[in-house]
Amino acid sequence: MHLSRAWKSGIITSMQRNSSLTVELFFNPKHVGEATEPRFIGRSSSFQCGATLRVSLHIDESAQITEAKFKAAGCSVLVASASLLMDQVLGKTTGEAAAFGQQAEALKDKLGALPVERSGCPALVREALVSAIQEYSDMARDEWEGDEALICTCFGVSERRIENEIESGGLRTIMEVTKACNAGAGCRSCYSLIEDILEEVNREQ
Amino acid sequence: MIYLDNNATTRVAPEVFEAMQPYLNEVYGNPSSAHSLGQEMKAAVEHAREQVAALIGAADPGEIVFTSCGSESDNWAIGGFLEQNPTRRHIITTRVEHEAVRNLCEHLAEIGCEVTWLDVNEIGELNLDDLRRTLRRDTGIVSVMLANNETGVLFPMEEIGKIVRENSDAVFHVDGVQAVGKIPLDLKNSSVDLFALSGHKLHAPQGVGALYIRSGVKLPPFIIGGGQERGRRAGTSAVPNIVGLGAACELARTFEEHERIERLRNKLEDEILSAIPNARLNGTPDRSQRLPNTTNISFEYVEGENILLHLDKAGVCVSTGSACHSATKQSSPTLRAMNVPYTAAQGSIRFSLGRYNTEEEIDYTLKILPEIIGKLVEMSPYDKELRALTMRQL
Repeated sequence: MHLSRAWKSGIITSMQRNSSLTVELFFNPKHVGEATEPRFIGRSSSFQCGATLRVSLHIDESAQITEAKFKAAGCSVLVASASLLMDQVLGKTTGEAAAFGQQAEALKDKLGALPVERSGCPALVREALVSAIQEYSDMARDEWEGDEALICTCFGVSERRIENEIESGGLRTIMEVTKACNAGAGCRSCYSLIEDILEEVNREQ
Repeated sequence: MIYLDNNATTRVAPEVFEAMQPYLNEVYGNPSSAHSLGQEMKAAVEHAREQVAALIGAADPGEIVFTSCGSESDNWAIGGFLEQNPTRRHIITTRVEHEAVRNLCEHLAEIGCEVTWLDVNEIGELNLDDLRRTLRRDTGIVSVMLANNETGVLFPMEEIGKIVRENSDAVFHVDGVQAVGKIPLDLKNSSVDLFALSGHKLHAPQGVGALYIRSGVKLPPFIIGGGQERGRRAGTSAVPNIVGLGAACELARTFEEHERIERLRNKLEDEILSAIPNARLNGTPDRSQRLPNTTNISFEYVEGENILLHLDKAGVCVSTGSACHSATKQSSPTLRAMNVPYTAAQGSIRFSLGRYNTEEEIDYTLKILPEIIGKLVEMSPYDKELRALTMRQL
């Protein structure tokens, strides 16, 4: 293959050097399309490069991702990154997938070193994934019918549990709450709720 | 490989290679030397000068000065004029120039020159009334390209020249890099003062260009050193390259298949536009106002880089107006100046044909392209827009 010939920024050469998987995934991307209904959608786009991406997830009753699909109008690295990330989160729970998607280094070992102008591509894919999971979490929280109000749907942490942790540990920040009971370690859609609880509990004390 | 990127560079023609070969080994010597070896080199350079002059219709071969590339010629023309005329710092140019002129003029604007940028309309044409309005008695230089490298749109060099002559004392510089060898030229009967050309766009090697300087137009040397090129451009002449440029000009002057190339271009353009729903032409649909070898087509809502890479894998070389060279990726300034919507500029592909392209190659390209675009359309998150577009066409 003479992939590098007409290529100005050298991206394909560096893709070849770093990972033949990336090249393969660009030419034959996996998980392109739309997940079956009901689906949860996350979007992201870059003002810098104009790339646009949509991730759609189908999630079963045990919060497991059974379908992860994407559509993208963006560069080769974006397409390969999206393929890879969909592959990685398929079969994971929303909590595991969101926690993975929050990591800046999530795809680094597979993608290899990217030229600086492409370093934002994997981030764009992670952003769309997390936002799809947030959509799911907001719905799951609304529909939750348990005895105790559910705050962190990713890791099933209730309001009561968070209140207890704050009281007993004298917690002041979201990060401390996450460290104590895992609430907010996933998609972070519950951040504003945790903030409210922190404020309320600390005001009462 | 099927090479449809002839506006980027061209293959060195076998005839050119053959003409150059002796000067890379058998024949040597410095053309500035008085001995016979040197004089033989000098004769070769002068022969090449005549060949270049003949192709562009210069009145005298002495009006041709060899340079290292088109960018040098452009920089010399504009920079040299300003050096000669430091008080005439008003420059007029267009928004769609090649970087060699555009970035130079941006730089000049930063260091105190006044630059007027002429706009183009959505099909890439200039409004000559804008030129009339902006020309002043103190305008120093007007620099306009003859053919746009991305879209192939031709600017009316003759009309522009007349307007410049009638309304100012400005020097008229033309960046002719993309036009030379593709359309007929007759500079002696024009109002052009300075004209830049580049060898590698017409099957000469990379690393050689020329600047036409009309007799009587004064331009200080851009490179100061020895007295080469009659003191106008120092540096030992790159004889093999210059011989190559001469041979390439000769080859272009006697080329008889311009119509065949144009027919292939037309076929490619027509069939892409009719077969692919999200394809739209960039640049004037009037083909008489475009280079005969170029077509620039946007595939809306998909990414040009991806089209390029898929075509490359299938053995076809093209280029795209959208590429991230640096931290910010921007669509081409030419397409932006033409107000091409962002989602179309992102998916723009330039096909530029040349003398070695065959009908089979065009047929093959036409065969594989719809499938590649189809695959990317399927991947595009702009499904609604694409559906609407297809509906409109039904």
